Amino acid sequence: MPSTLEKIRILGRNSKYDICASTASSRTKKYPTLFGDSKNWIGATASAGICHSYTPDGRCMSLFKTLYTNKCIYNCSYCFSHNCKQKVSFTPEEYARTFMKLYSMNVVEGIFISSGVCGSADQTTEEMLEAVRLLRNKYHFQGYIHFKCLPGLSQHLLKEAIALSDRISVNTEASTKGYLSEIAEQKDFKNDIITRQRWLKQIRLKHNEEVLKVMKDLKQDNQLEFQEKMIKDRRENGYKKFRWDGAPILNSGQTTQFVVGAAENETDWDLLNRIDWQYKAVDLRRAYFSSFTPIKGTPLANKKAESLAREHRLYQSDWLLRIYHYKLRDLKDVLTEEGNLPTGDPKIHFARHYFKEHGLVDPNHASYQELIRVPGIGPISAKRIINLQSQKIKFKSREDLKSVGVVLKRADPFLIINGRNQTTLSTFFDLDENKSPEKKLGGIV
Amino acid sequence: MNKKKDCLDPLKVIGRAKGFSRRELISKLPRHSKFSPNIIQQIEKLPEVLLRNSGSPMAKKLIRMMREVNTEVYRAIQFTRTEINNRGVLYGVVLLKHRVIDLVLKYFHKRWPQCVICLYNEHTRKTDIINEKATIQELKLPLKEAVEKISKNRPIIPYFEDIQFSGKEIFDTLYQSQNIVERENPRYFKQMIPDKCYELPGLRNGIEKRYISRNKKLNKFL
Repeated sequence: MPSTLEKIRILGRNSKYDICASTASSRTKKYPTLFGDSKNWIGATASAGICHSYTPDGRCMSLFKTLYTNKCIYNCSYCFSHNCKQKVSFTPEEYARTFMKLYSMNVVEGIFISSGVCGSADQTTEEMLEAVRLLRNKYHFQGYIHFKCLPGLSQHLLKEAIALSDRISVNTEASTKGYLSEIAEQKDFKNDIITRQRWLKQIRLKHNEEVLKVMKDLKQDNQLEFQEKMIKDRRENGYKKFRWDGAPILNSGQTTQFVVGAAENETDWDLLNRIDWQYKAVDLRRAYFSSFTPIKGTPLANKKAESLAREHRLYQSDWLLRIYHYKLRDLKDVLTEEGNLPTGDPKIHFARHYFKEHGLVDPNHASYQELIRVPGIGPISAKRIINLQSQKIKFKSREDLKSVGVVLKRADPFLIINGRNQTTLSTFFDLDENKSPEKKLGGIV
Repeated sequence: MNKKKDCLDPLKVIGRAKGFSRRELISKLPRHSKFSPNIIQQIEKLPEVLLRNSGSPMAKKLIRMMREVNTEVYRAIQFTRTEINNRGVLYGVVLLKHRVIDLVLKYFHKRWPQCVICLYNEHTRKTDIINEKATIQELKLPLKEAVEKISKNRPIIPYFEDIQFSGKEIFDTLYQSQNIVERENPRYFKQMIPDKCYELPGLRNGIEKRYISRNKKLNKFL
């Protein structure tokens, strides 16, 4: 029987490529007491972003991230568990106890619970849920829990997982059915993944709509204050009801992860297309990308590792879609012939393409949509500029822009202020080609 | 920019607030170890524009002092390592040069509302305590004695009894298991945990220390 330490060593190693492990604040000021005000509760998720440790690659290690078991009926060709000869599982009690110890040491902020599929998805999830139930009921932990939905999970278990967790993720792994069958032939893309993502959306929306309706009715009947007072009194007396009726569920939403470069010929366009669809169709909160790394003993052991730069470019493009609200077709214009993103920042490539056609931007007259396309101007500085435009305050020099948070070294080539454009070295050569100034100017620079 | 508006709050003029407001400065600066009442007098005399303008020598000094205070709280929250006993007393060691122990105690109290939190400050050599009712007290006792004294009259709590085992090895194993060798990035790692953080009690003997640069500074050999 392996010890707990041995299990952590094995199951931690098996989950290290699962990189969606950031914490998200799931208790807003509006709903600060999701689990009640009882002083028995331990932990908090109001302040996301506190990291207690960092791995040598600089990633924050804020979650207790191990598999629950590495026994798995699937034989995905990229997976670490595929080759692991030692098959171990936590017991629910052991898992909960180990986490609480680490939490009491102030070295982790929450849990990321994932697993191989041992027997069936429902059987394994039952055990994972038992561990989470112990944490919530026995140890009174009200902190952050990220629960992994296993492929083919039943709806009633998914509902329970939602009630107990802050965030749920379903790993898409590949962008289409064809690419998924290439790397994980036993998984059914539509049934195991997309359907579960749709369920998550439906359950969340249905619950939250009902909640809004209940709250609205109470407000109309002037019972809201009475209801709030009653709930407050009951909580103060140690009443421990999970998720009071007025609280929304799954506050940190659902996420997904892709293995980049495992499937042959899968392009960046395929991946971006898929995440764009997921943002619209299943209310995805965010997507994670993990570069493929060949693991000895797996069917893809001889395949070349995917570069981390590609992963980074995908994150940058995802940011443009998610935060800057670019249209997917905008990004299509900058892709290479193979359908991949070019080397370098996608926003700069896009700006070069866009402003070549539309001309430079005058911050005194530009719209928000135009400003947001300029590298060095983010949503916050764009809003500030629009705010100043509405107050009829004019920008007379580049320094004025700097004071509202614009990064001038990036923005300069695309801006025109008082009819003048700051000349940069890049204007002397064609921006479309990926050549360095040294090569262009024959090594003179 | 319109010159006539220079006397206004820069937030209103340029849309972005720099530095700290007068109110923030007056409330937080007394926490700095080198604080003197003269500073408050000067802050009250200076206009808000000058206080927020990081170009002025006074504002530079104030911003530096505020940053030192805020960073110390944040680092203490991040890197303080604690232990809990079976009677619900959470304790640990901190190194706080400024008067911010109450902020750190309140952070732990929010997470462990049913526990008594004891933090021994190596700088002042005193133990500060926050109880279940959020009352803060200072004891001139070493940590061990303070914890024993508080624990004496408290009942054993079963679910804290469950986690009475050493967690150091568990964390070390978890930390090592998460390391992806091909992704190692020492520069980024050092940015996340600067060298001076290893002077904090929590990281002094932590596993992270094994990954800091092998290049020793000259004064290490003296």
